[in-house]
Amino acid sequence: MIPVLKIAWRSIWRNRRRTILGMTAVGVGLMLIILYTGLMTGITAEAREGLDDVGLGHVEVTAAGWRGKHLATQSMAAVRIRAPALGLPADAEVSARVLARALVSSAHGSQSVEVAGVDWDQERLVASHLRTLAQGELPGPGDDRRILVGEKLAARLKLGLGSKVRVLAQRADGEIGAELWRVGGIFRSLSTATSERKAYVSAAAARSLLGVGEVAHQLVVQLPRAADADEVQRRLAAQLGPEYEVLTYGELMPMLREMEDLMDLVVWIAAFFIYGLVGLGILNTLLMSVLERTREFGVLRALGTRPGRMVAQVFAESFWIATLSGVLGLAAGLLLNWYGSEHALMNIGGADGHLEYLGSVVSSARKTHFSVPQALQAAALVYVMALVTALFPAWKVARLPPAVALRAN
Amino acid sequence: MPVIEVRGVTKDYLDKGKVVTRALRGVDLVVESGEFMAIAGPSGSGKTTLLNLLGALDTASSGTILIEGRDLGTLSARELSDLRRDRLGFVFQAYNLVPVLTAAENAEYVMELQGVGTRERRRRITELFGRLGLAELVHTRPLEMSGGQQQRVAVARAIATAPALVLADEPTANLDQTTGRELVALMRELNRERGVTFVFSTHDPMVLEQADRVVRLVDGRITADERKEAATSIPAGSVEAGVAAPA
Repeated sequence: MIPVLKIAWRSIWRNRRRTILGMTAVGVGLMLIILYTGLMTGITAEAREGLDDVGLGHVEVTAAGWRGKHLATQSMAAVRIRAPALGLPADAEVSARVLARALVSSAHGSQSVEVAGVDWDQERLVASHLRTLAQGELPGPGDDRRILVGEKLAARLKLGLGSKVRVLAQRADGEIGAELWRVGGIFRSLSTATSERKAYVSAAAARSLLGVGEVAHQLVVQLPRAADADEVQRRLAAQLGPEYEVLTYGELMPMLREMEDLMDLVVWIAAFFIYGLVGLGILNTLLMSVLERTREFGVLRALGTRPGRMVAQVFAESFWIATLSGVLGLAAGLLLNWYGSEHALMNIGGADGHLEYLGSVVSSARKTHFSVPQALQAAALVYVMALVTALFPAWKVARLPPAVALRAN
Repeated sequence: MPVIEVRGVTKDYLDKGKVVTRALRGVDLVVESGEFMAIAGPSGSGKTTLLNLLGALDTASSGTILIEGRDLGTLSARELSDLRRDRLGFVFQAYNLVPVLTAAENAEYVMELQGVGTRERRRRITELFGRLGLAELVHTRPLEMSGGQQQRVAVARAIATAPALVLADEPTANLDQTTGRELVALMRELNRERGVTFVFSTHDPMVLEQADRVVRLVDGRITADERKEAATSIPAGSVEAGVAAPA
């Protein structure tokens, strides 16, 4: 073992109680940071993951201006837009939608909804509520007479499987288009808006309703990592040009992005204070240790130890304190965080165990987001704090005149 | 070349820029290699201050100190550290061993600073500890040793690197008379066997009896410089008499 580290290791154990108390404070601080970060990032991460329940993509492409007017004519040549051609990540899911604002009527009432004409195989990958239907099943290929409605819409219009609904929408030529479809399935969405105001038909059926050709109004992209949305947006926007509008989920749901930023800020503020306390814990332990050993440092200087090695000595003690408390805090933090990711740490209420949160859906049982890199990052900051807080005691030791230090009691 | 040359050295202790204590007042002293010399004087006479200056632990207010011809006033902090490491050994009144190191590790410390390899360090320590009767204390920590044992380890640490000069500040002050006598005898033997120059401060008459030369300090001035020809093993003519500084 390097002598500096050996002396440092033994030195930190001279006052066991103080060292253990100091390290416990640092370790608990680190554990709290890991746990708190896990909780905070957990809720935003789940909200991002919950976007597919409301049918929102991490990135969406529409014709420029479509979002303002939702006209059937503001469409894209859907057949030409395919994921490989767009250079999207291989594991990204893409679905093209033909969208119509329509009035759905049954014998018991009517409701304005957004009807999405989709390719079922594509859409079920980006809209989780289509993966397991509450009733019925997805229409087969070529079945263009079936409509899928949400549970709340079905309840409002008293619809069951096989019920007839009339759908009215403005066609591309300005006339009113009308179709009579039968309910082929009822889906369950945790989002009220989706469950009550959204319906699905095949893309061919929607095109027929709107009187348009092989076009789509919206391209929805679900990415493996929501954090890549900005990069994918930049690439797509550059590739597609000004005729298209490419937006991220943060732009589509600015509240969600703002909440993410706010959560980050809250985490940083909490971390600032906790790391401050961690730093004070290390500083206190080191400073007390150094001040108590002024005479000993004087002896080491008298024996010919260079100031640089004295500095290294203090940093080595700081290193050991940070390492021991870091390992303990990291282990405890990871364990708690893992437990919190498997079993909810708390339940914040909500119907069916879920809550609508900023337009998305999250579980009311609050789980943490388990991330080893995130925890390692927090632990690395403990080392940085240890380095920074060791500067002052190290500076004091390096400047200590040997004769003065030797006179110290 | 003398091991030590002190010319007109003064040392003032200041407080807020004002001299509060004049510890040394124009000291001149020459010490040749192989001397076994005591600095005697009452408390507050400047003994420790002079040893600190000779050991490059403090700086003089005026005057010149040369160790083996090197003017301490011209050396950087790093060069002074290296000088202490390579050419000087220290024995302190309060032993001042590093409490977290064993006896052997304490004695090895300076060799480790010098970059001496582990095997060579162990060889030298084994030989030295055997010579000083410390063989059984190799793995013992200072707090588990008696005062006499600690001071012997401190002597081992001081001479382990074969320094040109060992400075000892009242080395027997914390020891009982028997142990103190044994320690001085040990230093004397090392002085004779290895030719190590010893300069130590004391006001213990028993220690003074053992010294070849006694320099007396009173109120920061050298008032006497006595040599005992019969007691010394130093070849005649190798010692230049120190000259008491005029007031």
